[in-house]
Amino acid sequence: MNKSLKKKDAQVLFLIALPGLLHFLIFKYVPLAGNVIAFQNYNLFQGFLNSEWVGFDHFIRMFRFEDFSRIFLNTLRLGIYSIVFGFPAPLVLALLLHEVRALWMKKPVQTLLYLPHFLSWVIVGGIFLNFLDVKGLINGLLLRIGIGPIDFIGDSAYFIGTLISIGIWKEVGWGMIIYLAALAGINPNLYEAAMVDGAGRWKRMWHISLPSLMPAIVVLLLLRIGNLMDANIEQMLIFLNPLVRDVGEVFDTYIYRVGLLGSQFSYTTAIGIFKSVIGLLLIVFVNSLSKRTTGESIY
Amino acid sequence: MIRTRQDRMFACINGCLLLGISFLMVAPMIHLLAVSLSAPQFANAKLVGLWPRGIQFDVYKSILDSDSLWRAMSISVYITVLGTFLALLLNGSLAYALSRSVMPGRKLALQLILVTFIFPAPLIPTYLLIKELGMVNSLWSLMIPGAMGAFYVFIMKTFFQGIPGELFDAAKIDGSGEIRLFARIVLPLSMPVMATIALFHAVGQWNSYFSALIFLRTKSLYPLQVMLQNLIVQDGANSGVDNNFQLSMQFTPEMMKAGVVLFATAPILIVYPFLQKYFVQGALLGSLKE
Repeated sequence: MNKSLKKKDAQVLFLIALPGLLHFLIFKYVPLAGNVIAFQNYNLFQGFLNSEWVGFDHFIRMFRFEDFSRIFLNTLRLGIYSIVFGFPAPLVLALLLHEVRALWMKKPVQTLLYLPHFLSWVIVGGIFLNFLDVKGLINGLLLRIGIGPIDFIGDSAYFIGTLISIGIWKEVGWGMIIYLAALAGINPNLYEAAMVDGAGRWKRMWHISLPSLMPAIVVLLLLRIGNLMDANIEQMLIFLNPLVRDVGEVFDTYIYRVGLLGSQFSYTTAIGIFKSVIGLLLIVFVNSLSKRTTGESIY
Repeated sequence: MIRTRQDRMFACINGCLLLGISFLMVAPMIHLLAVSLSAPQFANAKLVGLWPRGIQFDVYKSILDSDSLWRAMSISVYITVLGTFLALLLNGSLAYALSRSVMPGRKLALQLILVTFIFPAPLIPTYLLIKELGMVNSLWSLMIPGAMGAFYVFIMKTFFQGIPGELFDAAKIDGSGEIRLFARIVLPLSMPVMATIALFHAVGQWNSYFSALIFLRTKSLYPLQVMLQNLIVQDGANSGVDNNFQLSMQFTPEMMKAGVVLFATAPILIVYPFLQKYFVQGALLGSLKE
């Protein structure tokens, strides 16, 4: 092809890409670079060019902060519980739904299961704060069978369980889509051959369905572990209340509350860096572990 | 297929279980609807389950009469439509350029985008940046910073690359430049991926409240979700909902909340059945591995 035409095409393409590239530079890279304020006493009026440098002071202050270990453990606990209980839920649901042969039932059930994913956290909050209230419908039912009342939202003993259950309620249907697709792609001959060999339902699930889902399971699990330290801030802001702060305060809510509302920008940016370093280490570790054991990896 | 008695029993139990779970997905909303439609004395006494008792429509009358709720709704519609358009334009054009082999610096750009997937922009520095850019207290702060994502770009690029190269060659021979290729060949063939990304982004934009919470100061700019958040979390005080609306309640705060929650959900529920085909497709597109 004509060389000058090709050069012109390259220029045009670059211009087409430019707004998008600039967006990534400004809104993703500049904030990443903005992490330097963790090593300064950032002052709104002096900007990060003129603020005073303080080295690792904020990190030291963070580790000395008496509530640090509590918040760290809360974050870890919430992350681990939500993986242990939240991760298998869509998988189990997909396996169950896959067994349904009747289309008249499968389609409507799927539609209802996806629905909560499309509701905002505010709406989900509006629904459940009412539903789980000490005087709400659930406690009414519990009282009738002689239990409770249970303060699901305001009692530290129940709060984490409530939070995770609501998270599962919202996302379980959405999460199962990818498994359903993988299940639909399995060659039916495999199942028939297994049945001829006398494999029952469990054997077929164990030896055919699960191995076929394995790549998807591993990749999704790895990504999930990489985000172990990230709480869903929109969910937390709705459900977290002073009564359960002892178990419910996590890094993300602390950064929002103390950093943004309390204007302690440098200090909480240091906490943010700490959080992402842990996340990065986790993902590097589990990824190499998975590469060696299952052969699957995300990079 | 031979069906044994065991098979039938499993199908039966499994079916009942799934029906039960799907019921759990809608039961809370049915309850809210019942509460908002019941007579205040029953709602107050918590006697309403899934069926309204002593029907009245006053809650919805005052919601529909409330100027502040309608204004919030129109702001939500505005940022959703414009924000989604911006997202399609920015992500689509970048993805198209990156899908073409003559694009200069293609590899580097892709790597830089991938990095942002692993290291998301941190909260505090992002906030300070938006502040420096003077976008605080403007609706742009809700639409521009979140317009692009590595995920969107990769999905679109993968889709564009699946379009047969012969089409491009033929158009090139006819003298088309890159812009015409994009507009005349790629875009018409990319409706599925465009619809999917539009749907994802629109739902996210409609539902998000955190950025509005941190960037907006003026109550008259609040989108629906923020107004709702204030109403639900702070019990109506300072929510931005006009006082007439709150004073006019002879019904309980629970009934009002239930009504407003459903008012805010209605648009999603109305478009939901039409979008199903796209979002399943989209969730699968997202699972493509590079």
